[in-house]
Amino acid sequence: MSRYRYPAIPESEVTPRELFRQRRRFIKAGAALGAAALAPGLLLSPAAHAWRGGLEERLAGELPSQSLAGDESLTAFRDATTYNNFYELGTRKSDPEVYAHQLRTDPWSVTIEGEVEKPGTFALEDILAGQSLEERIYRMRCVEAWSMVIPWIGFPLADLLKRHGPTSRAKYVVFESILDPDNLRGQRRSIIEWPYREGLRIDEAMHPLTLLSVGMYGEVMPNQNGAPIRLVVPWKYGFKSIKSVVKIRLVEEQPSTSWIDQNPSEYGFYANVNPEVDHPRWSQARERRIGESGRRETLMFNGYADEVAELYAGMDLNKHF
Amino acid sequence: MLMTPAARILAFRLLVLAAGSLPALWLAWLWASDALGVVPGEAVVHFTGRTGFTLLVATIAFSPAFRFTGWVGFMIARRQIGLWAFFWLLAHMLAWMGLDQYWDWPWIRREMVDLPYIRYGAAALLLLVPLALTSFRHTQKAMGYTAWHWLHRLIYVSAALGAVHLWVLTRADYLMATGFAVVVAALALFRVIDAVISRR
Repeated sequence: MSRYRYPAIPESEVTPRELFRQRRRFIKAGAALGAAALAPGLLLSPAAHAWRGGLEERLAGELPSQSLAGDESLTAFRDATTYNNFYELGTRKSDPEVYAHQLRTDPWSVTIEGEVEKPGTFALEDILAGQSLEERIYRMRCVEAWSMVIPWIGFPLADLLKRHGPTSRAKYVVFESILDPDNLRGQRRSIIEWPYREGLRIDEAMHPLTLLSVGMYGEVMPNQNGAPIRLVVPWKYGFKSIKSVVKIRLVEEQPSTSWIDQNPSEYGFYANVNPEVDHPRWSQARERRIGESGRRETLMFNGYADEVAELYAGMDLNKHF
Repeated sequence: MLMTPAARILAFRLLVLAAGSLPALWLAWLWASDALGVVPGEAVVHFTGRTGFTLLVATIAFSPAFRFTGWVGFMIARRQIGLWAFFWLLAHMLAWMGLDQYWDWPWIRREMVDLPYIRYGAAALLLLVPLALTSFRHTQKAMGYTAWHWLHRLIYVSAALGAVHLWVLTRADYLMATGFAVVVAALALFRVIDAVISRR
């Protein structure tokens, strides 16, 4: 039995030591470069937790607070965080809390584009740096005829928009939520067109009541409530207050929204809370205040008529529902 | 087979008894342990509706099950499961009136007038009332089998209305509504085909 003989390698084919070392260095550098590119997803990266730590610190301190819900008592934190509509995490009311971990928020950045002088993609910590925060207690009225009273923490959307200089052609603002079907179970089915899209007229977006919110009840925004940054428009049905915002685009024409695309006869662009205009399939005259028994009468513009009614002067609210 | 035919039928009837009654114990336990979420009344309305509709569909499915297997147990237990379905759907309506509307009669009346899905649901339940009332063996005999049989075909109309009720009240996620609609349509289709074939 003849033993196997290794084929002899000619000297010319052996890699010189120096070249071999160079290749090792190149591979290492490439790996490092790859890691840097992937850093947003890695816990070790300096970018992760960048916004959370700073925000937690600020929320631990005193913030100016303003109640705009009369003497109505706050909804219990537990109720406000276990009864949610956030279809990205499932369509049952309890799903968003159960599957909250599927929403990856660290790191987070928001792209501001379209009709602005200073477009770009900005890390959340940079958006929050130098931005004063405040607490606002608002009523929150869902289109499904239930409501809550929530102490939001955030800042006027107008502050952010002004920093980026809307052009004269900026007539409407489009918002987009996160698109991450690999992690968000709800986005694996076409319940609604993903990513979730909403929109405001520019004067609605610049209104002092309109907030970008990063916390509630003195805490960093829970994932199921739209972490890390969401819109709050208290005089409109809750679905207008888009969660987990990744994109803000200023445009000239009135945009469509996910709900309008889903069912244009039932959902309008304005979606102002209005007890006199019913949803085609149910009444909007009353609401169930979560935590109370019985029903409350729904207020025009959710009780914010004094502040916002003038925005819609002369408009037929039956037509522009 | 270890069991005698009579024992198998008894076992099946006990199974139907469990299917009809155990959800009530489960619901009572959820209620007592405060596990029905933020709006327990709403959860009870949904639970009773789902359970009742499932049992209604099962009642209808017992006929093809008998046709395919030839096992008489399905026909014997059909009345029993049908009455459980009626019980759950009646509970569904009462839960809506009491736990969701808090017995506010002017509003219950207004919701019935305003909301199409309430009307479809009410009609579906109303159609089941004569079926429940004539479900006794002696009424079946008194009515005559043919007349009784024709009357009890209303269960298909009721189930179809139930499917419409569920479809109309759904806001965005049509998974469950589609599931019920497809099963009801398939069972109705089978009934029609079966009737046409057996007439030849």
